[in-house]
Amino acid sequence: MDRSTEIELMRLLNGELPPERARELERRLGSEPELAKGYRRLRERWEGLALPPPRPVPLGFTGRVMAHVEGAAREGSTLSWSLAPTWVRAAAAAALVGGVALGAGLGLLPARHNDAPPGASAIGAIGAMGERVPLADSYWSMFEDETGGEARP
Amino acid sequence: MVTRSEVATDAGTAADPGWEVLARVAAGDVEAFSRLVETHQQRLLRLCERLLGDLEEARDAVQEVFLKAFRKAGDFRPQGQVYTWLYRIAVNHCLNRLRRRRLVRFTRLGAPVEPGLEEPPELDPADGAASPEDALAARRRWAATRRAIERLPANQRAVLVLVRFEGLSYREAAEALGITEGAVESRLFRAMRRLETQDSAASHVTKTGRG
Repeated sequence: MDRSTEIELMRLLNGELPPERARELERRLGSEPELAKGYRRLRERWEGLALPPPRPVPLGFTGRVMAHVEGAAREGSTLSWSLAPTWVRAAAAAALVGGVALGAGLGLLPARHNDAPPGASAIGAIGAMGERVPLADSYWSMFEDETGGEARP
Repeated sequence: MVTRSEVATDAGTAADPGWEVLARVAAGDVEAFSRLVETHQQRLLRLCERLLGDLEEARDAVQEVFLKAFRKAGDFRPQGQVYTWLYRIAVNHCLNRLRRRRLVRFTRLGAPVEPGLEEPPELDPADGAASPEDALAARRRWAATRRAIERLPANQRAVLVLVRFEGLSYREAAEALGITEGAVESRLFRAMRRLETQDSAASHVTKTGRG
């Protein structure tokens, strides 16, 4: 049985066909044994599907639901991502991705320009400046006192 | 199972009073919401249990569905029936749960769990059967159906449950799922084909004694 025929038969089974079309298909079912066989098989499978009847609503269920709802209503202004409009969620996601990318970029930036071991960059910077900062001065002055001024580089 | 006439009757007519209740909720009348809960809780519990295959999970899901409905009360458009609007929230919620569950199963790499089959029901609906044999046969049919449904992809499962067990018309199912009637037909067709394949595989295993 092809797809369109089976879809038609399913519609017949579910009362979804317009009356005229249904009558026409029923006539065909009477004269085409193969089609009738396919319909019988489809109906058996469809009607063979069964689930237990619904259970009663548990006692106090309405109260439980309402407590949940009233709790949420009291919170009132609590923001919820699931209820936020799509553009707000998209903007937040974009900001997050942008922040992570910026952070990663900034983290990589010094490493690209500085292959020296950690701590060396500050000493190098002081050396490059060609002048002694007061703190370095006081550091070397401790050794100068002990070595008679020969320790300073 | 619910017939279409039952759905149509207890869902009300085109002027569904549920929309008025929602308008009052949106205006800040929280108490009014309990009327909506009382009217629709049984139907939503049944739907969620059928989609999720687990009673406890269905109860949690229904609570969350009502909370979502409460929060969305201000955004609703009074179109069609309130129950199809609620069905839509419930189906989306359950499908998300099913996706999450599949992900958890995948990450745990454990044997698939088929909730609802192992757990004894609180109140066995088969107790009302004419004879113990009938009760056993009914339970077997339910278990087989549940297993078959759980093997279906989530979107096919949702269509099958809505049309076969909730008694929705194609148009109502399409509205509840936010798809076209053509898509409902197509998913139903694929679900039925898959069930046929499952049946043939099961009978092959029985005949050859494997499995």
